[in-house]
Amino acid sequence: MSEQATGRVLLQMRDIGKSFPGVKALEGVSLSVREGQVHALLGENGAGKSTLIKILSGAYTRDEGEIRFDGKPVDIRTPADAERLGISTIYQEFNLTPNMTIAENIFLGHLPTRVGRIDWGAVRTRSRELLASLDVDLDPDTMTGTLSVAQQQMVEIAKALNRNTRILVMDEPSAVLGERDIENLFAVVRRLQASGIGIVYISHRLKEIFELADEVTVLKDGRYVDTRNVADVGMDDLVKLMIGRDLADVYPGRRGEPGDVVLEVSHLAQAHLAKDVSFTVRAGEIVGFAGITGSGRTEVARVVFGADRATSGEMTLFGKPYRPRSPRDAINHGVALVTEDRKRQGLLLKLQVYFNTTVAGLDRLTSLGILRLKAEQTLVRSWIENLRIKTPSPQFMVVNMSGGNQQKVVLARWLSLGIKVFIMDEPTRGIDVGSKAEIYQIMSDLADQGVAIIMISSELPEVLGMSDRVMVMREGRIVKELSRAEASEEVVMQYAVGHEEVVAG
Amino acid sequence: MSSVQSPTVGRPGLAKMLLASPILGPVAALLMATIFFSVMSPRFLTGTTFSLILQQVMVVGVLAIGQTLVIITTGIDLSCGMLMAFSGVLMASFAAQKGMNPFLSILLGIAIAALFGLLNGGLVTGVGLPAFIVTLGTMNIAYALTRIYTTSTITGLPDELTFFGQTFTVAGTDIATGTVLMIVLYLITWFVMKYTAPGRSVYAVGDNIEAARLAGINTRRVLLGVYTVAGVAYGIAALLQVARTGVGDPQAGQTSNLDSITAVVLGGTSLFGGRGSIIGTLVGVLIVGVFRTGLQLMGVDSTYQVLITGALVIAAVSVDQLTHRK
Repeated sequence: MSEQATGRVLLQMRDIGKSFPGVKALEGVSLSVREGQVHALLGENGAGKSTLIKILSGAYTRDEGEIRFDGKPVDIRTPADAERLGISTIYQEFNLTPNMTIAENIFLGHLPTRVGRIDWGAVRTRSRELLASLDVDLDPDTMTGTLSVAQQQMVEIAKALNRNTRILVMDEPSAVLGERDIENLFAVVRRLQASGIGIVYISHRLKEIFELADEVTVLKDGRYVDTRNVADVGMDDLVKLMIGRDLADVYPGRRGEPGDVVLEVSHLAQAHLAKDVSFTVRAGEIVGFAGITGSGRTEVARVVFGADRATSGEMTLFGKPYRPRSPRDAINHGVALVTEDRKRQGLLLKLQVYFNTTVAGLDRLTSLGILRLKAEQTLVRSWIENLRIKTPSPQFMVVNMSGGNQQKVVLARWLSLGIKVFIMDEPTRGIDVGSKAEIYQIMSDLADQGVAIIMISSELPEVLGMSDRVMVMREGRIVKELSRAEASEEVVMQYAVGHEEVVAG
Repeated sequence: MSSVQSPTVGRPGLAKMLLASPILGPVAALLMATIFFSVMSPRFLTGTTFSLILQQVMVVGVLAIGQTLVIITTGIDLSCGMLMAFSGVLMASFAAQKGMNPFLSILLGIAIAALFGLLNGGLVTGVGLPAFIVTLGTMNIAYALTRIYTTSTITGLPDELTFFGQTFTVAGTDIATGTVLMIVLYLITWFVMKYTAPGRSVYAVGDNIEAARLAGINTRRVLLGVYTVAGVAYGIAALLQVARTGVGDPQAGQTSNLDSITAVVLGGTSLFGGRGSIIGTLVGVLIVGVFRTGLQLMGVDSTYQVLITGALVIAAVSVDQLTHRK
């Protein structure tokens, strides 16, 4: 290959290793990025991607290995070191100050001065130039806090460009964006690429990698797996590299006819967020709820779980009127909710695995008012084993676990109670492919045992792969019920966004 | 490249140990302080000195039980000292001036502190006000009510009210009955926090109130319970205060809120909630007591004692922050 076509190697990380107490986070990981290259970094959560880029950006220091920049060995110990080399990182949580203008953010810490005074004229002009170079039409004097997520991302990129960035690391930049914004982002990435910047692009979405990247490096369990030319691999190959098995095995095949109706919801309304919602769920059935964010799915779930009150409508559970007054009441009826935001609503992050597992079922572990701690430990250990939760001990703090293992702790909490209706709101959000497959298997097993499952998901492949029936919601209403056979990504999406006329016609 | 595993970077072994059992830090501090003062002053390491320390800390010790519970739920209680003063003045006055049955007056005094606690809890959960503001308000209200009721010290108390200030002798050392009560209260609270579902729910609410509610915990009831139990603790502290001084003192408890918060923080309980232990608080209370008495025996002026306590608090929180930093 000619130098011309591929660009000069800018960055080489070789045999990088990093340990945290009790965990070897990275071992023998290598990554090399060329000028003008989009290099995708791929791996499940916990594979070591974040650790690697934190080492690159100076947030962590490596324990082992070598970093070369422009062919020379370098030592990156602080974010300032990285900045000096021209390495910028855009994390998922932006590093912007909302109460400052775009221009101030772009120049934060680097304000040019003229005779001791800040040269605001230069700041504005340069900011305008940078924004224009990204094809972004924004006034540099706008307060950053008023911008959309996509616009803030552009400000972050402008900020990086202002620092003469030669390597730009982007940590799941598309995760926070809608379809159209993603297109814009891609255009910007391509433009940066053309200007010779090397880009490290982290994403869970394989599709993006094929659209954008030249090369891809795959990590698994903190180890280097392989680096491939994107042109030479297929999606299945990448999944295999990432999880060590085939994509086809992700959704468990499940059969067995659904039983009797367990939950019936009729004409349910909740404030202005859900209107006239009616559906049934049978024993052993998985009913998927598709729709865009804000379509009312979570609101319905919260009413069924007793977290919010219905404004009107009726529910029955096993044929009896059901009107939960609180989550406790719902739980006592055998209804559980896996919340969409695991960290803010699901887990007690700074408490232990055992605490989180038994917190909803302490009454079962109490005799004469006293907790049976031994019985609790036994129960928790058996669930850790059952669900293959990776934790050093039941006393481990859940905040230090990976997303997949955290979600398994949430599942253990409800499974240990013998739940009959399971509402799962985005059950695999932010979870790596390997744990996803395990969670699908758990759902499938539960359904086989006769549990009625409501699955809310924004990931269409998941909805289609797991559901027996699909309810599509839009603007607070169920606009369409689809059988497994009728449901396809296109059909579901069209109902979800309101173009069903097109489908019908 | 050698095959030797590189040592863990970022978090040294000591920090790891502190993370695993947060009570180690306070206990180590208490031991070191004890050793230090024993070396500096020959009179320090005696049963009498320790009995004295326990007597000195028993009032703040019992207040700190309530304070710990409130702080674990991410709250803070500024009203504890004033509630104690109000409760103490009332129970002393009922018994000494109004001729009420002493036991009944004690119970009434505690009940009033408990009611104030319930009010704190109600305002925090019902109206959703920050605990700092609520208890700042009730602190002032209780202070004013005390002064409205009386500005003079109430004397002539019946024996029942001074019982916990009396001492009994074990192996030549005088031990105040009040210190025994304090230890018993700590043991009960420790047991409830560790071995009962309500104890667990206090931690759950402190970690994340919304997640706790969605895990089926009645978070309102937990908070109301915590503030009310804290009120009961302040009422019992009032009884100890009255017993120790032998009078009903409307000036009592002026700095008790900060003293109790100091003890809680020294004991390793996080001001951010969800994390902390009641035994840690007892250790924190003892640390303050050991320093005060030790410095006294060394002839250090009481102003310097306050100064050193202040430095201790900052040191304790710094250690906590540094160990929990990622």
